[in-house]
Amino acid sequence: MSSQRIFHVARRVIAQLAADPRTIALILIVPIVVLTVAGILIRAETTAITVGIIQQDSGADAGFGIGFVNLGERLTASMSTVSDQVTIVTLTPESADEALQRADVDAVITFPPEFTQTVMDDHAIHLNVAYEGSNPMAAQFLQGIVMRAAVETLAGLSVITAQAIPEITIDAAYLYGGADFDNLDYLAPPFIGLFVFLFVFILTSVSFLRERTTGTLERLQTTPISRLELVIGYMLGFSLFALAQSLIILGYTIFVLEVHYAGSLLVVFLVELLLALMAVNLGIFFSTFARSEFQVVQFIPLVVVTQILLSGAFWAISAMPAWLQPVAWLMPLTHANQALRDVMIKGFDLVQVAPYVLALGGFAVLFVLLSARTIRHQAGG
Amino acid sequence: MTDALTVNAVQKHFKGVHALRGLSLQVERGITYGLLGPNGAGKTTLIRTILGLTVPDSGEVLALGVRMPDKAVLQRIGYMPQSTALYDDLTVHQNVAFFAALSGVTDPARVDQAITLVSLQNRAQSRVRELSGGMRQRCSLACALVHEPELILLDEPTVGIDPQLRVQFWDHFRRLNQAGVTLIVSSHVMDEAERCDKLGFVREGTLLAEGSASELRQRAGTPTLEEAFLHFAENGASAERIA
Repeated sequence: MSSQRIFHVARRVIAQLAADPRTIALILIVPIVVLTVAGILIRAETTAITVGIIQQDSGADAGFGIGFVNLGERLTASMSTVSDQVTIVTLTPESADEALQRADVDAVITFPPEFTQTVMDDHAIHLNVAYEGSNPMAAQFLQGIVMRAAVETLAGLSVITAQAIPEITIDAAYLYGGADFDNLDYLAPPFIGLFVFLFVFILTSVSFLRERTTGTLERLQTTPISRLELVIGYMLGFSLFALAQSLIILGYTIFVLEVHYAGSLLVVFLVELLLALMAVNLGIFFSTFARSEFQVVQFIPLVVVTQILLSGAFWAISAMPAWLQPVAWLMPLTHANQALRDVMIKGFDLVQVAPYVLALGGFAVLFVLLSARTIRHQAGG
Repeated sequence: MTDALTVNAVQKHFKGVHALRGLSLQVERGITYGLLGPNGAGKTTLIRTILGLTVPDSGEVLALGVRMPDKAVLQRIGYMPQSTALYDDLTVHQNVAFFAALSGVTDPARVDQAITLVSLQNRAQSRVRELSGGMRQRCSLACALVHEPELILLDEPTVGIDPQLRVQFWDHFRRLNQAGVTLIVSSHVMDEAERCDKLGFVREGTLLAEGSASELRQRAGTPTLEEAFLHFAENGASAERIA
């Protein structure tokens, strides 16, 4: 293995791209256009949620001929009727934390024993809600549901409303994220990974295809450079552009779109780098199966879009059919998304996301070996 | 010193095509050897086998005394493929410097020398995609020569090159021979062949006949090489039938 030769290949790849300013402009501008449009759309979306209820309310006598009332139970019942996108689960105080951490529920509402009595006394509904918080869509959506349910419940209790409409407040606690987290905060981490993956894949598969069709690959094979040196050289050259692109995307999402991040940007970068390395080799590997640049473009729906759909970026893996979930975990992008989300939303450090980082590194190595192999097969023909 | 090239009974099958049928040949150092034959005769497969790009089904190839395929000896071999095989986005200088660096050339002056040799010094900073076909061909030749190889394989090197430049090329090939460098040139143009020290007629994956241009004409009893080729091709075919 010669680091000299690897370096020369990397430098050549960089010089080639540098000679193509239009491609560079596209690399840098397209993500910003797409992120801006997606950002607007994403901030206006709703979803289905699961709510855990800790029911301890002992009820109270409302008087005025109404008799005994349990507002906690009534509120729970009307929450499930105001929207069919809400699933109610009954929890105990002991099981609630775990359910929240495992993301089995999106939020936990606690009705304390004196809940009804307090509402009567204070003429105000004060709700304790703990949000899982990493998906801000759920938090916003639930807030609306609770408000509607509260109004409906009280409408049935004319006595209370007859006097005055009670004030409704929600005391929210977040396991991750926070009240000012929105949908974009949830979707930005996978978006950051997605662009690097998409561009590096397209660029490497096309440039490697050209290397085959113009005969330069054959010429390279008549020099002392080995297949592995060539693949690693390619990897280094393209990772430079991938990192420049990540830097711009990250800067734009954090400073312009004001997406929140809790963890270290260095770890985010490391994940991006590994993702780029993986994508370079995936691109080289798939270029073997294409005879023209048109065919490379047709690999995008197969290799890129399918992977994005399965990667948990938009649809949670836990919500997929059981048989599909292992397939999702076979996608390199899934691991990158999980790691990016854990770091940016939950503030996890490198050790906590190590399984994902290692998996991504493993995929990169696997594809290095696979693509080096396919080059040899080409030579054998 | 070992011969520049030894090819021993090399056989190569592709899907349904018998490209090389037990071809053998020997090339001593310091000469220009011409591989002559029509398209599809097996010249390109033979050159690819010599370079180790194609592994023969049987038989062996020794390039500069080393059994191919062998990565290390490639540093001492130059190759100019039939297609120009250059990076279009890069300049002439970047292309030549890249292939030079891969072959371990550290002296930047060698890159300039190779470019001057093919008379592209005025276009060194032009991108390859802006060059004419002949200029690309010259750039490709510079890439094959820049690391000063001992054995050079040229697959149809003068296709698309104007006559004046062709003369220049052959002058340079001659100087390389004097320095002990061996050239193997494939061609289907007969007048090109006149300039080679030794010729091999290749047809259907075998070597029909071998010798200098005048020897071959004499043996065939024909005034031109073209007719000599046809003579050997027919006799070879009849010999096969008798056998």
